[in-house]
Amino acid sequence: MRYESARLTGFSVSEGKEKRGGVDFNFLLLVLLLLVMGVVMVLSSSYARAYYDPGHVTGGNAAYYFIRQLLYACLGVVLMLLASRLPMGFYRRYAFPFLLVTLLLLALVPLIGVRANGSRRWLGVGGLTVQPSELAKLAVILSFSVLIVRYRGRMGSVRWGILPFAGILAAIVGLLVLEPHFSASIIILALGAVMLFLGGVHLIWFVTAFGVVGAGFVVLMTFFPYASSRITTWRDPFSSSSDEGYQIVQSLYSIGSGGLSGLGLGGSRQKFLYLPEEHNDFIFSVLCEELGFIGALLVLALFALLILRGYWIALHCRSRFDSLVCAGITTLLALQVFLNVAVVTNLMPCTGISLPFFSYGGTALLIQLGEMGIVLSASRDILEER
Amino acid sequence: MAFFGVFVFAVLAARLFQLQILEHERYERLTIRQQLREAPSSAARGTIYDTNLNPLAISASVDNVYLSPAEIEMYGEDKDLIARELGDILQLDPEEIREKASRSGSWYVTVARKLEKEQADLVRAMKTEYNLRGVRLETDTRRYYPNSSLACHVIGFVGTDNYGLEGIEAEYDSALSGSAGRSLRATNAYGSDLLFAPFEAYEPGEDGFDLVLTLDSTIQFFVEKHLKQAVADYDIQNGAGAIAMDVNTGAILAMASLDGYDLNHFLDVSAEVQAQIEQAQSEEEAERLRREAQTRQWRNKALSDTYEPGSTFKIITLSMALEEGAVGLSDGFYCGGNVSVKGRNNPIRCWKTEGHGSQTLTQAVQHSCNVAFVNIGQRVGAETFYRYCEAFGFLNKTGNPDDNLTASTGIDLAGESGSIWWSENTFCSPRNLSQLAAASFGQTFTITPLQLITAVSACVNGGKLMRPYVVRQLLNPDGSLAYEREPQVVRQVISEATSKTVRSILEQVVGDPKDGTGRNAAVAGYRIGGKTGTSEKVSLEAQTGEKQYIVSFIGFAPADDPKIAVLVFLDTPSNASGIYISGGQMAAPVVGNMMADILPYLGVEPQEEAENRRDVQMPLLQGLSLWEATERLKETGLRWRSIGEGDSVTDQLPAPGVMLAADTEVLLYRGAEPSEELETVPDLSGMSYDEARDTLSYYGLYIQTLSPIQENERQTIGGQNAAAGSKRKHGDVIQVTLVSGDDSLLGKY
Repeated sequence: MRYESARLTGFSVSEGKEKRGGVDFNFLLLVLLLLVMGVVMVLSSSYARAYYDPGHVTGGNAAYYFIRQLLYACLGVVLMLLASRLPMGFYRRYAFPFLLVTLLLLALVPLIGVRANGSRRWLGVGGLTVQPSELAKLAVILSFSVLIVRYRGRMGSVRWGILPFAGILAAIVGLLVLEPHFSASIIILALGAVMLFLGGVHLIWFVTAFGVVGAGFVVLMTFFPYASSRITTWRDPFSSSSDEGYQIVQSLYSIGSGGLSGLGLGGSRQKFLYLPEEHNDFIFSVLCEELGFIGALLVLALFALLILRGYWIALHCRSRFDSLVCAGITTLLALQVFLNVAVVTNLMPCTGISLPFFSYGGTALLIQLGEMGIVLSASRDILEER
Repeated sequence: MAFFGVFVFAVLAARLFQLQILEHERYERLTIRQQLREAPSSAARGTIYDTNLNPLAISASVDNVYLSPAEIEMYGEDKDLIARELGDILQLDPEEIREKASRSGSWYVTVARKLEKEQADLVRAMKTEYNLRGVRLETDTRRYYPNSSLACHVIGFVGTDNYGLEGIEAEYDSALSGSAGRSLRATNAYGSDLLFAPFEAYEPGEDGFDLVLTLDSTIQFFVEKHLKQAVADYDIQNGAGAIAMDVNTGAILAMASLDGYDLNHFLDVSAEVQAQIEQAQSEEEAERLRREAQTRQWRNKALSDTYEPGSTFKIITLSMALEEGAVGLSDGFYCGGNVSVKGRNNPIRCWKTEGHGSQTLTQAVQHSCNVAFVNIGQRVGAETFYRYCEAFGFLNKTGNPDDNLTASTGIDLAGESGSIWWSENTFCSPRNLSQLAAASFGQTFTITPLQLITAVSACVNGGKLMRPYVVRQLLNPDGSLAYEREPQVVRQVISEATSKTVRSILEQVVGDPKDGTGRNAAVAGYRIGGKTGTSEKVSLEAQTGEKQYIVSFIGFAPADDPKIAVLVFLDTPSNASGIYISGGQMAAPVVGNMMADILPYLGVEPQEEAENRRDVQMPLLQGLSLWEATERLKETGLRWRSIGEGDSVTDQLPAPGVMLAADTEVLLYRGAEPSEELETVPDLSGMSYDEARDTLSYYGLYIQTLSPIQENERQTIGGQNAAAGSKRKHGDVIQVTLVSGDDSLLGKY
């Protein structure tokens, strides 16, 4: 009864001194499974580039990327377990400070960010680099959850249901466009939309938003040749001479040549510098080449199970805030997985979206595992079916 | 939400199914094509040997230097350093190298080809010193021709990519080059091996065959030596050619064409042309001059030129006429200087405008009498003549009597031209016999020199037309015999008996020092047969009005059992040489000189020259009876005149022991005293030895020479040790020197 009311009022019971339940074992197991596979795939896909070192990064150390990813994976697991220990109220309390810090960091990126490929997307701190856009995703989930809970009942109105959220999205996306970071903007907009949908915003707004985004898209295509060339490349990558065209063709080569059962773990030939970003955005292509259709389906199935389990947790959370946060994080995960696989298989125009737990990138992995920790934290408070 | 999730994941799965299952094979193929590098493993190009296994063309390993600008870019290597160092070593423009090093999209830009070991080692050292990954070397082969220009047109050369471009190198390119092996490697995107999963399939290449030619370097050398001399002596304007063939097999023993070139530097033109090029007004003009000179020097005239053979072709007419029984050795021919031919407005004139008068068949050949040959051709008849021309390999009938016809010998050498003949209908028209008439002495059609020597070989070798060839063996890389070529009889054209008759008639052309137009080809001690030829370039005259000639001679030896035939043709002798333009005057001595070198080399034993006269010693006759004295003189080979009435010889002129020309008339005194009067020495220059001998003996003077006396050569007095007009006693001996050669009109045709 107490839990029931707590859920209704949106207050977390963990603020009390009672002992919390254990984390959701299925979810944790799936995360760890995918993480282990991901780290192994980083080793397999990256050693060629690390060894040849065309970019003068690794000094010819074939295990360069692997060691780093392994280290971050270990740190990430610790972080995940720590995050699962923190009460959900903590996240609720610090949602807005976190949003502010994120906005601050986002604002710094165009000024002092590390430039790469014509964009500034990273902030460098010592030897570490952080993509504030990764933080922004979590900030949107947390802050939207707080607001939705706070404005429940008033979500149908523009004043409460739209403007605050639109303001946050506009601030974040506005800063992302300065970088520019197209793919992160799309994910954050989609994420925001899903959050609002879950928060009970009127459907008419989605129709409107869809229209606006569609119109914006048309404008983008018309006035930014960079974007429209991406579409051309997408439709016929084989006759495109652009880098993206080359990238996507190499990705298709990798995936297609894998066949049913693949060339075996470690057997990819495309990773020998044919396929760009092979341990990064295109790691799934290497996976398809090495493990074949069977392996690719298995990994997608594991992701599907994880996502389903995430939504299951969201449905069974004790508070609405927990539910929204879990649903948001799970949706973010699902979006990333879908968009990444859709890009590498050329279902969508090429854009840089990493595959959670697989793609190389230390801080992103830390953040992802932290998010998983938050879901696990929420799962502790579920009483049913224990 | 969950349904939506399942749906989108199903889309991904479907897409993966499409790519990995349905389109798997296509992508696999594309990927393999991308990942496999095919590297040819070069096969060694075979050596070309002459018939005695002297190397004529050999391959050696050299290096090509190339840049990999993409890697220069990737590893941040110093382009200026590369340009400077390479430019230094290779003597190239550093700017150019720098430009090449900057083509960053490329993995392969050639800088220098076929470097000798010393230079390549310098590049290697430089590469190591600066640890340059973008500067690379690859092995290549280079062709060397140890004899430079010797037999250049037969051997030919290879281009920079090692493909044969001319001669044997072109004709036997695939046999020489063998099959390059292939190594298939799975590589990374930069072309180097995969790290842990090296994949390599190796298909070994096969080295090329070594070729053994029929060509004999020594004979080739003799032929070229004398041909060059002839070109210089007679101021030949348009080059010259020569072929030496084994008459019984068709094997080419030597084949030369002038001007030649150094095979090792086949692009270089002669110094004269180079001077012209440097004087040229424009770049294009210089380039055109160079191209023309190169094309000219690469042309194998013996194989590629076609010409009207002229009188040398009379051998063919003679052979067919004898074979058909149209003429016999006892037949007589009358030459009044010209002959009218049906279908021609002007009568055909013999080269000797006053005519040769009555001649036997042999004399008609010796004189090279056109009138007689017109007659012989008409006795053969146009259709039979045409049939023999086909049998001798000069034309191939096509079945359509209106076609102009052509043929070639099918020799295994690149660049052979074909003959050009009147169509059968034109040639055999009963209303117009002028083609037949002219063809009988070798005009109005064109053939290659090779066709002529092949057909003439058939005429003298017993009647077998052989297919000429240059390569007699292919050797495996281990030296074992892979293939041996057997001489190939194309057909029997005339009988052995006819061939024998032809040989004996042709021997008279060279061997008869009076009537033979080819006597300048005679070599002491050897029996040589042959035929002269002088042909005017009729079509050139028709076009430009300029008279140009090709003079030629075809000879064979030994005349009774021929082993070798030699054809020499000199294209456009200049009028300035002072020598009468004719095959007998110009080409015959060249063939004679070649034979004089070649026959001893081939081991043909010279026969004792029975006809060669030697000076004889005047015996002691004083005190002998007249009968005894004249017997003694007959034995010695001297004629005599006696003065006085006594029974015994009281004195003699000249004194005993003196060397005299054989057949000299000596004086025997029977009681009378020799006159003490002095005689005036006459001018002997230009006289033959015999004339001079008789002239001197009229004055009671005697002749002697230290020069070798050769019956077959026309020798004249070049100098005498007592000047004309000086006084000498009776019985004195005048020493003279003999020189060869004259400007007798007999050599004209």
